[in-house]
Amino acid sequence: MSAAAYPPAPVAAAPLLAVEGISLSFGGVKAVTDISFAVRSGEICSLIGPNGAGKSSLLNVINGVYRPQQGRVVYDGVASMRITPRRAARRGIARTFQNVALFKGMSVLDNVLAGRNLHVRAGWFRQVLGLRAARDEADGHRRKAEEILAFLHIQAYRDTPVGKLPYGLQKRVELARALAAEPRLLLLDEPMAGMNLEEKMDMSCFILDINRDFGTTVVLIEHDLGVVMDISDHVVVLDYGRKIADGAPAEVRDNPDVIAAYIGSAH
Amino acid sequence: MDFFLEVLIGGLLAGVMYSMVAIGFVLIFKASGVFNFAQGSMVLFAALTFVSLLERGFAFWSAFAATLASMLVLAWAIERGVLRHLVNRPPITLFMATLGVSFIIEGLAQLLWGAQVHGLELGIKDEPLEFGGVLLSSFDLFAAGTAAALVLALSLLFSRTRIGLSLRAVADDPLAALSVGIRLQRIWGVVWAVAGFVSLVAGLLWGARLGVQFSLSLVVLKALPVLIIGGFSSIGGAIVGGLIVGASEKLAEVYVGPLIGDGLENWFPYVLALLFLLVRPAGLFGERAIERV
Amino acid sequence: MLLLSETGQFSTRYADDRRVFRLRQARLGIIALLAFSYLVVPLWASDYWLSAILIPFLVLSLAGLGLNLLTGYAGQLSLGTAAFMAVGAFAAYNFQLRVEGLPFLASFLLGGLVAAAAGVVFGLPSLRIKGFYLIVSTLAAQFLVEWALTKFGWFSNFNPSGVITAPPLSVLGVDLSSPAGRYLLTLAVVTVLFVVAVRIVRSDLGRNWMAVRDMDTAAAVIGIPVARTKLLAFAIGAFYCGVAGSLWAFAYLGTVEPHGFDLNRSFQVLFIVIIGGLGSILGNFLGAAFIVLLPLLMSNLGGSLLGGVIDPGDTENLQKILFGVLIILFLIREPEGLASLWRGLRARARVWPLRD
Repeated sequence: MSAAAYPPAPVAAAPLLAVEGISLSFGGVKAVTDISFAVRSGEICSLIGPNGAGKSSLLNVINGVYRPQQGRVVYDGVASMRITPRRAARRGIARTFQNVALFKGMSVLDNVLAGRNLHVRAGWFRQVLGLRAARDEADGHRRKAEEILAFLHIQAYRDTPVGKLPYGLQKRVELARALAAEPRLLLLDEPMAGMNLEEKMDMSCFILDINRDFGTTVVLIEHDLGVVMDISDHVVVLDYGRKIADGAPAEVRDNPDVIAAYIGSAH
Repeated sequence: MDFFLEVLIGGLLAGVMYSMVAIGFVLIFKASGVFNFAQGSMVLFAALTFVSLLERGFAFWSAFAATLASMLVLAWAIERGVLRHLVNRPPITLFMATLGVSFIIEGLAQLLWGAQVHGLELGIKDEPLEFGGVLLSSFDLFAAGTAAALVLALSLLFSRTRIGLSLRAVADDPLAALSVGIRLQRIWGVVWAVAGFVSLVAGLLWGARLGVQFSLSLVVLKALPVLIIGGFSSIGGAIVGGLIVGASEKLAEVYVGPLIGDGLENWFPYVLALLFLLVRPAGLFGERAIERV
Repeated sequence: MLLLSETGQFSTRYADDRRVFRLRQARLGIIALLAFSYLVVPLWASDYWLSAILIPFLVLSLAGLGLNLLTGYAGQLSLGTAAFMAVGAFAAYNFQLRVEGLPFLASFLLGGLVAAAAGVVFGLPSLRIKGFYLIVSTLAAQFLVEWALTKFGWFSNFNPSGVITAPPLSVLGVDLSSPAGRYLLTLAVVTVLFVVAVRIVRSDLGRNWMAVRDMDTAAAVIGIPVARTKLLAFAIGAFYCGVAGSLWAFAYLGTVEPHGFDLNRSFQVLFIVIIGGLGSILGNFLGAAFIVLLPLLMSNLGGSLLGGVIDPGDTENLQKILFGVLIILFLIREPEGLASLWRGLRARARVWPLRD
């Protein structure tokens, strides 16, 4: 499978997201040092690099889970120094986590419906009273959730508690929950970790479909270089918390620093 | 000024006793991650057993030895009968299990030894001593000395011996400790036994002060804010926390009590602990964990 | 015949799927149960059963529900249930005392709202403190409330021992002070509040509670207002406990002092929730029934089997031991409580007499 079979990505010239001079450290341990890069609206951008390169930390900075010591994140033309996870979500940033962060006690459907919470209009009191408008709205959210379950082929597990699903399906449910928010920017942290070839292909197709069909901008972290080169429009390479390459897949592949970081050449 | 000092030192000395109960907590928490609500009832059980044996004609040391033995059996039973079956359960479950344990111990203690108040005479005089114009109780000084010795012994045990090293390894990461050949069961056994011993000493001192009665098990409610202030995992924290709680509740009783009504020592430590928590959510000496997602 | 057969019962609309009782048999069953509780029980049950067993059972179910919403659904452990009950009862008493002509049901409601406010105040630390450390906040509530209600005479209209007494219980001129009347009053309040609770936990708020309970970082990342969600759990949970407190004071006991709402009461409600099942609505009834009936059963058994051998003080200690053992057994064997046993039974009944 390759992205060639797909229509071109709906990339616009303007960046949707710009990371500017971000530095982050934990009690003196530097996770990320002075990183800048931009993600254009509509592209699939991959963050790659060896373990511990600071990729996940960077995602955590973008959606406000961590607060960087230096630098800023510009999203949709607005620069923010202190964004909270919730404000990031409200502005259209959704994400998945490296170690699946689902609500384990809830069913698949409830997890996805929880992902719609930003679109819920009726307050809890009106829902409790069972007012007509609230019921109609609930039907609408359910319909949307069902669409997403169908899109990711997990309708059959609708009522299963997510804790009981195998890992690969949990990753899919997490993606479904992120999609339920109808995000403009989707941050995926190793969506294919621990998957076999077939599952990886399925997931790659889902990501491409999301990007092409909904025009969602995607930033993903992935270790499988084959997949990365296939589906990305843009690749950013980190090593030891610094950026060592940034460009189209083909450019990055031939970059000597990247080769050194991955294969380890004689310095 | 002398009066202030007297109140302060009296409070600190009472605080030492809180620390002692709190140390039992910390040990168990470090070794098995259990927040042991039954610590208070263990204190009650120890004191009640000891005093009942004395009343039945046992000599001091033989009663002490017999009580210690029964504490070890109790600790073993808790480990075997309860905690071993709850491995890998969330902390809340473990906490509630120890709540159940405290019910059993309290019921058992009173079933065995009756519910009446027993006087306990350790042969330590309680007379006021004067130091530079400040009056102090000799009993409180003795209690503080005992607690200090106990704390010193425990810190040596856990910093200088192999058992101590194993304990710290278990506290840090039970699985990793297991994989390098540390026997978890043995560590747990040792820790519960030591906690039983600490309860016994605390029970004797508290019992001699207040009389041996059911309310002894309520010291657990004093130890809780002590732990919150000191952090669940630090022996030093338990000591400092105990001193802070002891001193501040006495000062509050004397200086704030007249303004808003007396009897505030029940809730004051909690409000104090809450204030501490709002400033330092992991306690004074607790380690703040970095949340990884 | 398959008693709980689902044959021919399809969900054709999303609304069907949202029903609490999806099976026709279950709906008939619940109607029968309600009819029995409202019509048959008040006529047939003895005064002893009504006032000493059924009323406390219902009130404790309600208090359990309040704690379950907070702890079982929203994941915020509380040891201050009795404090919120006390706030509700004493506030209702004062509204009744100081507002001329206020219907007592309105004072129950207002008492619940005051308890909700107290819940929010003591829930505020939950925004900064997580998990275990949080019990210090609700324990502070427990001790502070008990102390304040004893210390300041105003709360009990300067009764020397802080005792408050029930207002005359009547609705629209109908006197409800008989055991059957108090039972019906309690039953009605409990029915309404349980229906509301079922709807809350199935609303988006309930889903948000569970999300915060299961993983609050992820909840924040998908945009759930974590702070607001937690505080609402405290408010609503404490409201339920507050109303339960009013019923406990006025429909069950008649008079109550602050120490009637001590830490042991909080533990009692906590046990109801554990034994019944955290995160279950039905579990509150099962747990409360267990807690109310077990001591009765024990003293009856003790009386008939061992008549005279065990003195009453020992029965109390034995009861305590048995409670402890049962709690531990439940935690080990059935961590999801009686409600989970019930679910298992129902699953078996679905295919009975066949086996799955």
